[in-house]
Amino acid sequence: MGSLRSLLKSEDWMSVWVGLLIFALSLGLLLGADILGWAVQTNVWVSLDQALQPVSDGYSGLGGGASLILTFLFLLLLMSLAARGLGAHVPRFMFGFTVIFAVSYICWFLGHYGYIAATPDKLESLGIGWSMNLTGEAGYILALLAGLVVGNFFPKTAGRIAEATKPELFIKIAIVVMGLGLGVKAVDALGLASAVIFRGLCAIVEAYLIYWAVVYFVARKYFKFSKEWAAPLASGISICGVSAAIATGGAIRARPVIPIMVSSLVVIFAVVELVLLPFAAQAFLTHEPMVAGAWMGLAVKTDGAAVASGAITDALIRAKAIDTLGVEWAEGWILMATTTVKVFIDIFIGVWAFVLAILWVTVIDRKKGEKVRIGEIWERFPKFVLGYVLTFVATLLLVASIPELLDAAKAASSEANVFRKLFFAMTFFTIGVVSNFRKLWEEGIGRLAAIYAICLFGFIIWVGLVISWVFFHGVTPPVVAG
Amino acid sequence: MTDQEQPRLADEIEKMEYEPLLPVEKKLIVWSIALGVVLLGVLTWVSYTFFPAP
Repeated sequence: MGSLRSLLKSEDWMSVWVGLLIFALSLGLLLGADILGWAVQTNVWVSLDQALQPVSDGYSGLGGGASLILTFLFLLLLMSLAARGLGAHVPRFMFGFTVIFAVSYICWFLGHYGYIAATPDKLESLGIGWSMNLTGEAGYILALLAGLVVGNFFPKTAGRIAEATKPELFIKIAIVVMGLGLGVKAVDALGLASAVIFRGLCAIVEAYLIYWAVVYFVARKYFKFSKEWAAPLASGISICGVSAAIATGGAIRARPVIPIMVSSLVVIFAVVELVLLPFAAQAFLTHEPMVAGAWMGLAVKTDGAAVASGAITDALIRAKAIDTLGVEWAEGWILMATTTVKVFIDIFIGVWAFVLAILWVTVIDRKKGEKVRIGEIWERFPKFVLGYVLTFVATLLLVASIPELLDAAKAASSEANVFRKLFFAMTFFTIGVVSNFRKLWEEGIGRLAAIYAICLFGFIIWVGLVISWVFFHGVTPPVVAG
Repeated sequence: MTDQEQPRLADEIEKMEYEPLLPVEKKLIVWSIALGVVLLGVLTWVSYTFFPAP
């Protein structure tokens, strides 16, 4: 009964169900049924009539405005059902979701303005002479900034939409949906996909063993943190932010307040990384795009911020490559490197927490009669990963075994991508909303922030870059043109 | 829980007692890093031998 309740009530499982529903509906195209073709596609625009259109030509008569309204109503219905399943206050959720969708979409739309977004190959067709070359993903940055303004200067508004402010739920749904697109890409380049997956696994084994030990040592030796503080802090800074800090806190039986406090710091620093690292990657790693993608996965904490950084890096590097290298790389591979690394990190959180629990009980903090259950690995396993693996593997196997389905699968992927990108935009906005710098500052973050900043910017980011370079240098996405 | 009841971060850190780094912790840190370095070599070789990038 308890496990049945968790299948419905946990945010992790809910992201799987919502993601799988979008996946299944988009796959209707494989059977000749265009179920989601009305979803709104946002183009790079200089005049408003270019901006919106239904993603499928079959619905072109609908027009962009109606397409946007339908997309919103569909998501409102879907997410309200999910909220009900999660036990949320549905009317409050619907209000919050409407605000979040509206602000996120406006930012997404503005980010597609030609002078901001157009890549050099698009300038002529748009009839403009220059652009900031930021791609439409600039909309994510705008959404983040809007969220930060709301979170820090309009706390009452942030409170009113709190019921729907769920960045982790949004990004997990997006990751489950993303499996479809990556599965289609992998069919086209199986060798590259297997190399990315295996090397992503190698990268995180390294990250766990080296990152954690060094951060724990620095926290204990130089900042004089107790074991109870140092372990969740090491996991939060070095592995995967919030979930790792909470899992580690549970594993070593720390008081719940400690991982919660570490988590709030993780979110703040993730925002800083999210703003800085993709642009650093674009400036210095255009020749090594997959290194850049893996680096985002290893360096940026929390699922939302990491995958979001991967999406921006993907767009920025591909845009610069067209400009400076004269080559157009296929979309999504850099993001795939980020996601692969992040997903493996998430998978290993449970294993790592289990290892720590055993070490704590048997060696470091021995207490009479304490035992560790192997079932804890499953309890801590991030269930949304199952959804991602399922959509990825199912698409890969289906299209690899019936190659005639490839074109329909690509069209299905485009339709699912509309929703993935909207969930990304809402993730960015809500990450901003929950990042209350002022509150954390008032609480006295000094010593904790100091160790976080020193380890993150003095060590984690650079070791992550070295590990990414070792496993991904010389690997490039397939070339579309150039 | 109201804001007033929530423990403040600064207070919690203030309350923390000093615990010296135990020999067993040092040992685990060294083992973890050593294993990481050794595996770096092994995994790099496996990656480039069995999973070459096309």
